[in-house]
Amino acid sequence: MANQGRVPVTVLTGFLGSGKTTLLNRILSEQHGKRIAVIENEFGEVGVDHQIVIGAEEEIFETANGCICCTVRGDLIRILGQLVKRRDKFDYVIVETTGLADPGPVAQTFFIDDDLREHFQLDAIVTLVDAKHAERHLDEVRAASEQIAFADVVLLNKADLVSEQDLARVERRVRAINRTATLFRTAAANLPIQSVLNVGAFDLDRALAVDKGFLQPEYPFEWAGVFEFQGAAVRILTGAEHAHGHDHAHDHAHGDHASAHAHGGEGHHHHAGLGITFLRLSDANADELNRQIEPALRAFADQPIDVPCGGKLELSAKLYRLDVGHAGTDFTLTVSEPGTYAVFCEHVPQELSLRFAGLAPVAQRQFASHHHHDDEITSIGICDPRSLDGRKLDDWLNYLMQSQGQDIFRMKGVLSLKDEDRRYIFHGVHMMFDGKLERPWGGTPRNNSLVFIGRMLDRQEIEAGFESCVA
Amino acid sequence: MTPAALNERASLVLDAYIVDVSWSPDGRSLAVAGGEGAVVLIDNLAQKPGPRVLGEHGMGVIAVAWQPGGKTIASSGQDSAVALWDSASAAVKRMRPGTAWTEHIAFSPDGKLLATATGKVLALWDCAGEKVHQFEPLAGTIAAIAWDKPGRDLAAATAGAVCVHRIEPPQFTVRKHAWPAACLSAAYSPNGKVLASGMQDGTVHFWMLTSGKDSQMRGYGSRVTLTEWSANSRFLATASGAEIVVWDFGGKGPEGSAPLELSGHTERVTHLAWQPNGPWLVSAGRDWRLSLWQPGREKQVVDAHLTGGEITAVRWSPDGKRVAVGESKGRLTIYELISQ
Repeated sequence: MANQGRVPVTVLTGFLGSGKTTLLNRILSEQHGKRIAVIENEFGEVGVDHQIVIGAEEEIFETANGCICCTVRGDLIRILGQLVKRRDKFDYVIVETTGLADPGPVAQTFFIDDDLREHFQLDAIVTLVDAKHAERHLDEVRAASEQIAFADVVLLNKADLVSEQDLARVERRVRAINRTATLFRTAAANLPIQSVLNVGAFDLDRALAVDKGFLQPEYPFEWAGVFEFQGAAVRILTGAEHAHGHDHAHDHAHGDHASAHAHGGEGHHHHAGLGITFLRLSDANADELNRQIEPALRAFADQPIDVPCGGKLELSAKLYRLDVGHAGTDFTLTVSEPGTYAVFCEHVPQELSLRFAGLAPVAQRQFASHHHHDDEITSIGICDPRSLDGRKLDDWLNYLMQSQGQDIFRMKGVLSLKDEDRRYIFHGVHMMFDGKLERPWGGTPRNNSLVFIGRMLDRQEIEAGFESCVA
Repeated sequence: MTPAALNERASLVLDAYIVDVSWSPDGRSLAVAGGEGAVVLIDNLAQKPGPRVLGEHGMGVIAVAWQPGGKTIASSGQDSAVALWDSASAAVKRMRPGTAWTEHIAFSPDGKLLATATGKVLALWDCAGEKVHQFEPLAGTIAAIAWDKPGRDLAAATAGAVCVHRIEPPQFTVRKHAWPAACLSAAYSPNGKVLASGMQDGTVHFWMLTSGKDSQMRGYGSRVTLTEWSANSRFLATASGAEIVVWDFGGKGPEGSAPLELSGHTERVTHLAWQPNGPWLVSAGRDWRLSLWQPGREKQVVDAHLTGGEITAVRWSPDGKRVAVGESKGRLTIYELISQ
């Protein structure tokens, strides 16, 4: 009923080799009782009985409003226009884009074109990421980050071909670009079909569930652990765990270093310096740890003290920057006052195989961070309980779309408007926007949650814009 | 005021989404393109209409055209085939112009050549199904084709240009009318003076074929796919949403003048069809309404009918006395024009 009989459309994007065809074949061959029409970018790759597979060449057309970011796929309008004439014969559409395609025009086609809107409902944009080559793609090709930015669902595919450490790093990078997408780690695109079909990401009738984790404040550190420091000194090590002798460790380090480059390429090993600080705790529990977040934030705002490989640091609330540019580094932590400490660390230790020799944390937690990715595309989230003025909100969103529509790939939100019992929900692609009042707040606390995903977005400006809408 | 009306004369329901219909030259029969794949012939329209299935295109018929002055019916389908049917014997000759769908077919006015647009490729066939000529692929998929009245030029609308293919066998040449937008329709004025095209960017473009001048009409809210000339070449009917916009080429022409705006539909206008030999215009819209107009004489709708479903085809009979109207749910209705 929500779709009023409209046929859902899933858009499948991803680079060549990311596993789109594998996923398509999986979807088509599974017993799901759906008759699926696939519009793919080349002929003859997928051939499965009883399903409709149509080859199409992507044809990008500019639209009537003259805005250069508002483009549509002319081929989709034509082909889907023909397909509706036999619509009782299929009940789902999958559009596969070419590897390098920007998903914008596909998504916008379903916003702009009246004919298509009448019969089709964009369900979700699903992006496949080749876990093994993702970092190189992200460094070298603009479309790679755009495909992630647009996604509602991201498959980190071929996850079985990379180490947990590499996968964590890729995942972190994907998250830095798009923090609202649902993320799956897959090998050979194997996941339940309902994870990618009928997701309802563009359906305003299904309440937009903006990920709560995303709306946490962002921190300059990713991890904190509680340690009991007893002895006079503790070695802090990074790199391969089995390295014992110094010479051996050194050789090994160079080997690792070279291979890290071969895999990841230049320009995005963020670990040249690792920020770290130590805060005294009165007790070893999670509450105590959380009470030290504020002091840790202050410490991380300080000018760091550089510690070279082989250098020393003290168990103090100063901010140190460890030189971890080479895999397999070694530092000495002097313990002048033994006790329980919270260690706040710029990165999750596993990422660097960082460890305190002979010690394990008695408690730990991770934090959402934003500071260390170098992709231009980011997600900006706002979470605020104050009710908004509907008219001012209109003005602001209009202004935002006019001035930055080209750079905003996706936006969505659930808003609390003054003197309005119902939630206002909206979503948009570039300058295309859909918004409406939805079910009442009822007993749930009123709150605004908004997400913008785009290129070179100015967080302060967006926050100021939001502030101007507060009633 | 001219009293006039469209009166329902006959009606039947086919088991198909009616994609398009085409009248026989004598006005006694109709060929119907069915969305589920059947090409249906309906004889005896005046007395007892009886449908019979001529044959099938697997997966849906896209287009159907009856040969002017002849008994051949051409059709194209989602099976990527083009078929030539003998309307009497149902004998068929099938061709495969390419792997893409042949989305547009059009007989030359003398009925001797069939033009097919398959993806980017325009080809010409004789009535035996032999290929006469195939042109070099255009830059983009062909969105529409149109013959001029003498049958010498064939226009093809595509992204960035309307390309005019001059057909003087054995000479085949191509001339490009470039415009930096996706061209979605092509229509020659019957007097051969103007080539009009509707655009994805919400404009209508005219090329004055004698002077070489071109001009552009803006103000459409979305893409323009309907560009229909009146029989006397004076009016070009287009649509913008629920509004019918008619440009008057009489006097100084449409430039700088305000078009006639015909209001009556409450939803988007999807079909416009001029009487082939008179002043009447029939329109259909997403409001399931069929309307009769006399642009230039009457600002108001002259007659209107609410149909039982989405209108998917509107075609005048060659004598200009009847209109065949097809619907998505398979209903086919023949209306007769009553006027003085």
